[in-house]
Amino acid sequence: MLRFVLRRCALVLPSLLGLLVVTFLLIHAVPSDPAVAMAGDAATPEQIAHLRQQYGLDRPMWEQFGLYLGKVASFDFGESAFSHRPVALDIVQRLPATLELTFASLLLSVLIGVPLGVVAALKHNSWPDYALRIFSVLGVAVAAFWFAIMLQFLFSMTLGWLPLRGDLSATMSRPPVVTGFLLLDSLIAGRWDAFGDAVRHLFLPAVTLALGGLATIVRFTRSGVLDTLQHDFVLYERAVGYSRSRLVWIYVLRNSLTATVTQIGLLFGGLIAGGVVVEAIFDWPGIGSYTVQAILTGDRQVMLAVTLLVGAVYAMVNILVDVVHGLLDPRLMGRA
Amino acid sequence: MTKAVRQGGPLLGRRKMGGLAAGALVAGAFPAATSTFAQAADASTFVSGFALPMNLDPHQVYDVPMQSMMLNAYDNLYRYEGDPPEIVPWLAESHTVSDDGLSWEFKLRPNLKFHDDSPLTADDVVYSFRRMLALALAPAGAFLKILKPENVTAPEPLLVRFKLETSYAPFLAAIPSICIVNPRAIKPNEKNGDWGKTWLASNGAGSGAYRIVPEGYRPLEYLDMEINEGHFKGWSDNAKPVKKIAYRPTKETSTRILALLNGTLDCTDPNLPADQVEQINASKIAFVQKDIVMRTFVVRMNNTKPPFDNLNARLCFAHAFNYMGFINDILGGYATRDPYPMPENLWGVPKDAKGYDYDLKKAKEYMAKAMAEGAPMKRPLEIHVQSENEQSVQGAQLFQSELAQIGINLKVVGNIWSNLTTAAAKPETTPDMWVHWVSTYFVDPENWVGQMYDSQFHGTWKASSYYKNPEVDVLLRKARGLVKQEERAPLYEQAIRKIMADSPDIWIYNSMQLQGFNKRVKGRRFCTVGQGAELRWITLAG
Repeated sequence: MLRFVLRRCALVLPSLLGLLVVTFLLIHAVPSDPAVAMAGDAATPEQIAHLRQQYGLDRPMWEQFGLYLGKVASFDFGESAFSHRPVALDIVQRLPATLELTFASLLLSVLIGVPLGVVAALKHNSWPDYALRIFSVLGVAVAAFWFAIMLQFLFSMTLGWLPLRGDLSATMSRPPVVTGFLLLDSLIAGRWDAFGDAVRHLFLPAVTLALGGLATIVRFTRSGVLDTLQHDFVLYERAVGYSRSRLVWIYVLRNSLTATVTQIGLLFGGLIAGGVVVEAIFDWPGIGSYTVQAILTGDRQVMLAVTLLVGAVYAMVNILVDVVHGLLDPRLMGRA
Repeated sequence: MTKAVRQGGPLLGRRKMGGLAAGALVAGAFPAATSTFAQAADASTFVSGFALPMNLDPHQVYDVPMQSMMLNAYDNLYRYEGDPPEIVPWLAESHTVSDDGLSWEFKLRPNLKFHDDSPLTADDVVYSFRRMLALALAPAGAFLKILKPENVTAPEPLLVRFKLETSYAPFLAAIPSICIVNPRAIKPNEKNGDWGKTWLASNGAGSGAYRIVPEGYRPLEYLDMEINEGHFKGWSDNAKPVKKIAYRPTKETSTRILALLNGTLDCTDPNLPADQVEQINASKIAFVQKDIVMRTFVVRMNNTKPPFDNLNARLCFAHAFNYMGFINDILGGYATRDPYPMPENLWGVPKDAKGYDYDLKKAKEYMAKAMAEGAPMKRPLEIHVQSENEQSVQGAQLFQSELAQIGINLKVVGNIWSNLTTAAAKPETTPDMWVHWVSTYFVDPENWVGQMYDSQFHGTWKASSYYKNPEVDVLLRKARGLVKQEERAPLYEQAIRKIMADSPDIWIYNSMQLQGFNKRVKGRRFCTVGQGAELRWITLAG
């Protein structure tokens, strides 16, 4: 298992380097001068030229890339032209909020999507199946921004049950930062009031983000279970006298989840990307809106760092997916 | 200060999102309930939807969002107050200037204190100006050419002296742009001679009416401030000030409006879309405050590129813009026509000068003259807009349709602020035309005509029409060197008449600021400098 994981990790490094090269080239193809953004609106040409020299922006591109690579190797992602703060600090402060939202969405998608997928398969071609199939199509088709606004109207404006925006009420003091994850930090500090408030703030963005993933998981689980139900071993186990629930929820489900697990891995990347819109609508303090601002202001250091980070997270999740595949079907581990 | 970019440019069109939100509310599809999550219900906390600056250091960033820091967490020697804005003594109680305009002295009030209770003296003012000059970022723009660090001195504990390199009349007007910072808070946090810029980007070191709470800060997302009971102005003029300011900027128009309507926000940012005014005013909880500001909207023409190097061509374009159609139909009348190259409510404007009107017949006549002189009026032209700002797109599209009627082919190109300002550094990369606003960096004609039409500023975005008229250069430079307003005003009037005759750009309107407020907010005072960001006057009813 360890060799399997190490081999996968070794393959990630060249992928990330390739990602960095491509992103670096693309960003430099954009005719935007980061020194202009850095200097600000009222800057003179002399101030801009000074900054260009100070940050090595007047050097050839290959030289800039070499310097950048050297810094990245020591986890120095430079300074944001946008916040004038170290990019690493900005990311460290924001990433937990994005991960919290992503994991919450994924959890909702899996906890609801897998059982619904199984139900759809078991009730094949009956009204629950039809209803869930329609839901699957709608879930993927509905635009996140529209769904978000509808949830805001219903739960915040009409019923007044849930907060409209942000990750914590303005009148609530924040717990001390330990992990950066608001929920965890609230628990560590014993701040149940903050924990409850944070959960309520998390609910609408997480549901919005979960919708697309939920629909996908229902679809893949349904088709996986339907396929597995056709196998001979199911007939054998049924003949042996296993209970229906044991047969379905343990043996059939385990053999049906390979495609679903792959989808969950792919969804994770999608959720981080999809989070950009959701974070903007709910004013969620994650990396999504930070990245959008970086793109709009031509903040190269941030764009590079975030791309690399998302690439690394995506790669790690895929390694995890491979490991889970191995656990579900040990034959795959041997083949790899 | 142009920019929705810095203020959190919306990912989705404002009209689309805001329309969805307000439309559904008004239609009664989702009648607004009194939310149990009205976060602003606490009578001592003011929740502001004002955008946050890129970071908290007032010597690094200088834009509209930074005004919230400059006017609440910091103090300045002089400050603009009131509407119309008047420069008044603040930390300084008076100032003197030598006849040649080179030596300026500011006398500080006694017993001033920073937030950490340490005394604020002339030495701290000297440190603040030297730090601003050393960092040489946006706030330093007005000072770098005229002030050397060693020429800011403190001959007495309460006296600061500035010796300028050349006489620079807007010096006093620019003084409010510099915040006085506490060196005793900053110096222990300096690294490699960085003047503590990394530290101050996330912390506060001021003396203002409110102090920054560093643990309540995440860049561009949220910021908390708490009242400074010991502020030098005292609180006798506001018996019930807010104890805490919670900045919670909202990025999307729909969320912004919903948050105002359910009481989550006490105020929005000052850039509400005009089509939301009626809906908000119809609600029981909120209203829209309208204020005339000094923020002009202009279509730049690159005067170095044909056909814009031809006067008749420029006059053709000046007559082809449907000014009142844009203001009345698209902006809902929430702007005032301003035919001058600077706000019409500022001194130095020749009120008798006539601007250009929308007249396609005249435009055609000028077009024919320009073509007779060889101007390539039929070549495909481009106008670049700030894509994230719907109003700039709408203005360009309206212009495109008007020009199409006289046979001019204009293409609207989406762009972003950083690309446009980069492109404006050279005449050959500057677009044929582009659209932007010019805000009040300081209340002086220098902020508009001085920096937009003196050819020495070519290479900056403000001077991106690359206009050059030696007579105008002489007038603007002379006006810049004089101290007395009554001597400067006629020079600016003369310069503006000449500029208007040359028609280098298309000046469209002066803005009306639209800001949503919860009805519990009382005592607000407005000043166009800072766009009403100063909050020490506010109380919350109930």
